[in-house]
Amino acid sequence: MIEINATILAQILNFLILVVILRAVAYKPVARLLQQRSNKIKNDLDKAEADRKAAEQTLEQYKVQLADAHKKAQAIVDKANQTARQEHDAAVEETRKEIERMKVSAQAEIESERNRAFEEMKSQIVTLSLAAAGKVVSKNIDTKENDKLVNDFISKLNKDMFADLK
Amino acid sequence: MHEIGVRETVNFLGLTFNIETLKMTWLAMGIVILVACLATRNLKVVPQGWQLFVEMIIEWLHSQIDAMMGRRGRMLAPLIVGLFMFLLASNLIGLVPLMASPTNDLNTTLGLALFVVFLVHCLGLYFKRGHYIAHFFQPTPVFVVINMIEEIAKPITLAFRLFGNILAGEILIIVLLKLMPIWMPIPSVAWLAFSIFISCVQAVIFTMLSMAYLANAVKEDHAE
Repeated sequence: MIEINATILAQILNFLILVVILRAVAYKPVARLLQQRSNKIKNDLDKAEADRKAAEQTLEQYKVQLADAHKKAQAIVDKANQTARQEHDAAVEETRKEIERMKVSAQAEIESERNRAFEEMKSQIVTLSLAAAGKVVSKNIDTKENDKLVNDFISKLNKDMFADLK
Repeated sequence: MHEIGVRETVNFLGLTFNIETLKMTWLAMGIVILVACLATRNLKVVPQGWQLFVEMIIEWLHSQIDAMMGRRGRMLAPLIVGLFMFLLASNLIGLVPLMASPTNDLNTTLGLALFVVFLVHCLGLYFKRGHYIAHFFQPTPVFVVINMIEEIAKPITLAFRLFGNILAGEILIIVLLKLMPIWMPIPSVAWLAFSIFISCVQAVIFTMLSMAYLANAVKEDHAE
């Protein structure tokens, strides 16, 4: 049962042949495939990582841009508000000045009108008094006395006596 | 095997061969190659079906090899895969009626064991040179005797363990079939099931021990 003969050599040879064939047929393709797959997985993971980083960067950029835009919008609104207020103030001031100016000119006009009326009245009074006086005293008073009298009368007149003429 | 212990022999070129063992060996080789071809015929990057199974075996062996042998071990991977598949097929083939395991012949197991040990010494000398010879004389030169016995024991234990297990399994099946009437198949079926288990275990043991021996020769020493 236990006899060693040339079969031992044949078996070693058989085994070597088997290993060579298996290596060529089965082992190498599988090992290559495993390597290929692990490479692929590694590449995919690397790529995913890179993509994720890029996405994060983009998001960050968008956030910054958004904040920037917000800031700019706020600045524009502020500026518009300020301009509007300035314009409003300017308009109010302008109107106030206009009113003031109109008031002043109106007063001046009133004053000049009153002066003119007063002057006119004064001359009419002179004429009327002279006429009345002439008729009353006729030729008793000479011209010199007459002028003196008139002037005295006029000098006693003043603006305040005609306040209701205003 | 009709008569236990008697082997058919042929003479070829003045050498004697056990023809049944050789036939069965070729059959086992054929099965292994066929399975390997079928399993790797249509490889895809995304695995499916048989490919998963084959990949699982190779991945497991790779992890074992990496753990035991280190960087240089990878070049021995096809040898170890082949050894395991051949032993598994050989052991299981004997359980089929009218067939015998190639591993029930000491010529096969001793041949494989001697080949493995021969390979261990060759690789050891190639990778470690002086260190490899020196380690037989450690820790003291007296130990060379013990180391030599160990080295001689390696192929013998490796060969006889497998041979004994498989031959005993086959003998017991024949004995059980002769012992029991044909309507009482339970003992032989139970033994057959146990033999399947033994076949797998012995294939694993032989492969693992070969790996361990090879690892000694191949892995990088930290002292180097």
